[in-house]
Amino acid sequence: MFAYVVKRLISGVLVVTLVSMAIFLLFWYGPSSPAQPICDRETSNRCTQAKLAVYEKTLGYDNPVYEEYGKFVKGIFIDRTLTIASSEYECTAPCLGVSFRTKQPVKEELISRMPATFSIAIGGAFLYLLFGVPIGVAAARRRGSVADKALVSSFLFISSIPYYLFALLTWLYLTITFEIPLFSDTGYFSPISEGPWKWFSGLLLAWVALGIFGCTQYTRFTRGAMVEALSEDYIRTAKSKGLPARTIVYKHGLRAALVPVVTIFGIDFGTLLAGTIFTERIFEIQGIGWWSLEAVYGKDLPVVMATALFSAVVLITANLLVDIVYSILDPRVRLS
Amino acid sequence: MHVTGDAVLGENKKERLDSMKRNKPLALVAGAALLTLAACGGGSSDDGETGGGEEREFGGQEGGTKDAERQGPAPEVEGAAAGGTITVYLPGDPGPDTLDPTGGWSVTGNSIQQALTSRSLTQYIRDEEGQPVLVPDLATDLGTPNEDFTEWTFTIRDDATWEDGQPVTAEEVAFGICRSLDSEAFPSGPGTEYSKHYFEGAEDYEGPYTGKDPKCEAWDGISVEGQDITITMSTPFPDMDYWGAFMAMGPAPLGNASKPPNYGQKPLANGPYKVESYKPNEELVLVKNDQWSGDSDPGRHQYADEWVFKFNQDQAKVDEIMLSGNSDSQTAVSTALGSGNYNDANSQLGERLVQQTSQCVSTLTPDYNKIKEIEVRKALAYAYPYEDVWISGGEVPGVTRTYANSVMPPGMAGKKEFQVDGEQIKYDPEKAKELLAEAGYGDKPYEITMVYYEVDPLAKDAQDQITKGFEASGFSVKAIPVQESPYNIWLDPDNKVNKTLNLRGVNWCSDWPSGSTMLPPLLKGEAVYNTAFFDEASVNEEMDAIATMPIEEQADAWGALDERIMTEYFPIIPTAFRNDLFVFGEKIGNPTGDGSIGAPNYKDLYVMQ
Amino acid sequence: MTDEPELDPNSQQAKEIAGKSPMRIALGRLARDKIAVVCALFVLFFIICAVFAGPICSLFGVSLDTPLASERVDGLNSGLPKPAMGPPDGPFTWDHPMGVAPRTGQDNLAYWLHGCRASLMIATTAAIVASLVGVVVGLLSGFLAGTVDKVLSFFIDMFLTVPFLLAALTMAPILNERFNTSDNYGTIQKVSLIVILSLFGWMGTARLIRGEVMSLREREFVQAARVIGMPTSRILFKELLPNLAAPIIISVSLMLPAFVALEAGLAFLGIGVTDGVSWGQMILDAATPLFFREYPQYLWQPMLGVVALVLSLNLLGDAIRDALDPKTRR
Repeated sequence: MFAYVVKRLISGVLVVTLVSMAIFLLFWYGPSSPAQPICDRETSNRCTQAKLAVYEKTLGYDNPVYEEYGKFVKGIFIDRTLTIASSEYECTAPCLGVSFRTKQPVKEELISRMPATFSIAIGGAFLYLLFGVPIGVAAARRRGSVADKALVSSFLFISSIPYYLFALLTWLYLTITFEIPLFSDTGYFSPISEGPWKWFSGLLLAWVALGIFGCTQYTRFTRGAMVEALSEDYIRTAKSKGLPARTIVYKHGLRAALVPVVTIFGIDFGTLLAGTIFTERIFEIQGIGWWSLEAVYGKDLPVVMATALFSAVVLITANLLVDIVYSILDPRVRLS
Repeated sequence: MHVTGDAVLGENKKERLDSMKRNKPLALVAGAALLTLAACGGGSSDDGETGGGEEREFGGQEGGTKDAERQGPAPEVEGAAAGGTITVYLPGDPGPDTLDPTGGWSVTGNSIQQALTSRSLTQYIRDEEGQPVLVPDLATDLGTPNEDFTEWTFTIRDDATWEDGQPVTAEEVAFGICRSLDSEAFPSGPGTEYSKHYFEGAEDYEGPYTGKDPKCEAWDGISVEGQDITITMSTPFPDMDYWGAFMAMGPAPLGNASKPPNYGQKPLANGPYKVESYKPNEELVLVKNDQWSGDSDPGRHQYADEWVFKFNQDQAKVDEIMLSGNSDSQTAVSTALGSGNYNDANSQLGERLVQQTSQCVSTLTPDYNKIKEIEVRKALAYAYPYEDVWISGGEVPGVTRTYANSVMPPGMAGKKEFQVDGEQIKYDPEKAKELLAEAGYGDKPYEITMVYYEVDPLAKDAQDQITKGFEASGFSVKAIPVQESPYNIWLDPDNKVNKTLNLRGVNWCSDWPSGSTMLPPLLKGEAVYNTAFFDEASVNEEMDAIATMPIEEQADAWGALDERIMTEYFPIIPTAFRNDLFVFGEKIGNPTGDGSIGAPNYKDLYVMQ
Repeated sequence: MTDEPELDPNSQQAKEIAGKSPMRIALGRLARDKIAVVCALFVLFFIICAVFAGPICSLFGVSLDTPLASERVDGLNSGLPKPAMGPPDGPFTWDHPMGVAPRTGQDNLAYWLHGCRASLMIATTAAIVASLVGVVVGLLSGFLAGTVDKVLSFFIDMFLTVPFLLAALTMAPILNERFNTSDNYGTIQKVSLIVILSLFGWMGTARLIRGEVMSLREREFVQAARVIGMPTSRILFKELLPNLAAPIIISVSLMLPAFVALEAGLAFLGIGVTDGVSWGQMILDAATPLFFREYPQYLWQPMLGVVALVLSLNLLGDAIRDALDPKTRR
């Protein structure tokens, strides 16, 4: 078990390193000059060759790429001072650079965006389970009934629609057509300074969209896993022992069925935490996904890089945790 | 300042472009037009808020006036009450990148800071007729020039204070002015254009930060004697009093306290409000500065308790809020209105919808070296489908965009109402073909190469219309999509795309109501934004000559030059004058626009109690 | 893909229906599946629309050409179409069977048909490229095993952890900058979109094929081929590949709807296709409160296109998977 975790950790670190190298190289060699966007921005579009050279020099783009990548990695562990043209910026470890647009340390902005994205992710994921699992269990118990068939086919239908169209329609109908006041002001509001109610109503629409869409999938997962679990031999044994149906379904069946559901849930939750670009775009919630889109539009390279790295780290961590949890939940799985 | 609107030759941009602040190109709102403007700086104008009816027209406009005698406190706004919070939504507008007064050169930043936090030598107020009037601010009058405008003396008042209670001294004002010469530390500040150009010895002085001269001792273009500041000019600068209304011509704390870039996060305020919190591109919160005294300030008020500016808002969402009349919207102001909602807003809001000329002109600039014949340049003007471009770019024809006859915007002193061809040039493909044939290009299509900003669907749609109109008029068009501001290309002489272009564009706004901030920047040889590369010796000389004329004659001289350039050379195709729409909530008192800069009139707004 | 179907020509079931190839069995099952038939007809409809977009347009007398905006829309009425152009303010007209776009006056039918073409073309090409990559990686990884397998599996896992949307967003502006002066910019844009889609779409196939190959590798016929000294490449392509037809079809059927949805999604975010001929861009343009209130058809047209195509591809894919799976019984 311990050896396995260590092994997974090492491979996780390796993946993060490779991904960060790939992103670094992409920004280094991709644009004709990586300093062009900030030079254009700072000089009101009057970026001459001489000025561009100043920016390239202070940002280190005249050094070899491995040297700058080394500095970047070093900055993760040790404070560094960044120079852009004639201004100096302190960047405390872990240093992810300074935003080209706002000149704020990327790390601090990232942290300030987290509550919005995490709120969406936690609320949405909570709804996945809250509705998905019980409906799935109920459908599995009534397998083959008309209700089950109707539910399965209608949920199959919903989950076949691209998510962003579903979210867009949710937004258009609930706020524009029906003008439900509860949903009128979407966005992230700090529960501390603006009050929990404002926070709740601002995010509710996003949760509803995510929750409905996600719970259709979880219903299908749960139903499938449950059907399989209920056909296992030990359930038959339990039945023949005369255990009450409730105990069989919830204690023996659901426990086994939850294992695959939890696995998928872990990965999905990680994906949500890594940034919900469409959700944040459509409902104008200024979280990490929204921020990374803005950074792409504004050619804010340090921010794009940081968000890509952040997502990779979150996803890798989620994968690792899921595998570990899986081994604990399902005694049949022996990690090696 | 200058350039506004980012888009392809301009029609569609929401962005103010002075610095390449890119607006978010594809908000969900893509269909809505935002009219945020881009410039900064003054201009006289009026906001024809003719109330409710169908027809909104622009009130009569006249050149800016001055009142050197005005003293504090500013007269109370009728019915004004103290208290409350005013929320200002700025749709599609990312706001300033820095709050450093020296670095500010955008309509958004300057309109807010100059009205509320940062004082300078002079300022504008809005008079009873809605005209902007230049009045003293930190100086006791509008300054005293010598005979040929090469030396200006300002006397700094002794009763102005910083937010920490310390008095604003003449040395601090001089230091603030000195900072504007540091074009490395403030590469997009207005000082790069004005201080650097006019102030004596500015060319060779690198500034307090880049030049490692933290006390500004190495520059002797400015001298302080008691409360008097004297600035010497290298070339005559009759408009120094107008330039003094920029917050860059205001004080900065001495030494490290105002060192960039940190000072830009939380500059020390000396106006009626101070910075409570600032998240770039997102939110700026201002609260009352209790050290400010109304007696020391001839122009500003301190009615609301708090101001919240929300940048980068979604136009559609803001329109929904403002038109819904819910409690959020009652004390809110929006600096733009989506064109699609214009009809609704016009009938519902009455005088709470304010239309404001923005002192801006959109132009197409044919390359003077490549398109040599005036007939071809005029043919382009007839080939441009004006209204179609406006509609597809999300503008309301006749409301947010109007036909333009020349470079100087309406309301500018000296502006002449003339038409190059006797009547307004409108889309007329037949006439364009005739002109092309006259110039000897009747046989095959005349090739035009231009760029457009493809990230913005509106810019793309507008370009389609331009292409359509040009092709119907005997041109062939190669439109190159770019994903960065077209200005990045137009202004870079080494850019390989730029070298292939023969048609560019600039949207320009005046910095103050004088032809000197319109004609020379666009049409003087070698000027940065002269993307037509128009360079005629006689025109250049006349521009220099006007600056040395007696001040009363200058306005008419600019007007006459404007007409002469257009009729003789037609080097630039003015495609539209631009207007802004502001929306005010029900409980916002005195809903008016600030004609000096093209923004809501922040100085005089209050919350009805 | 947790439920990798095992297709095994030597299985009990296959022997029962001797004489029919697994593909024919699957086709027969599909033909009896009503939902599958309906979905197939839908897909066929979209394919016809895509292939014959040009002729259909000329049949209706519409085209992609940009008209002068003021001829078709009313700039003082929020840029909505003039009543003579059909909905929302006028009656249906054969001149513009699906109406015209607000603001620009472009014909909706022409844009819809060509949007369908762009969507299917990009999705299909990307699915083919991605499956090719996936099959090659999967074959090598599964058959060679050992270090090769470890390295390739590592890359599969790595690509799975890179957030696709962010990668696409990051690469779009860079690609544009490189190629925007080219005359074939539109084509390059589509090609780069295909490259991005396939670059992040091959991992599923690779995993599926890898698992399949690993089980096939130990089979007698492969062992036999090895023993008689058949070269590896021959074993891979002559012996293994034919047995992988089912998983390949399944992975393509999974990818197609995903790519259609992603293509439109990227255009909706403003990257991907930007010339306006794309369902995603039409949706982006139409999804404003004003247009949705005043002219909802404008949103529904491209929206229904995407939803119907993705839905029928998805359901058809499910049916194909069931049909190919020997475990499911009827």
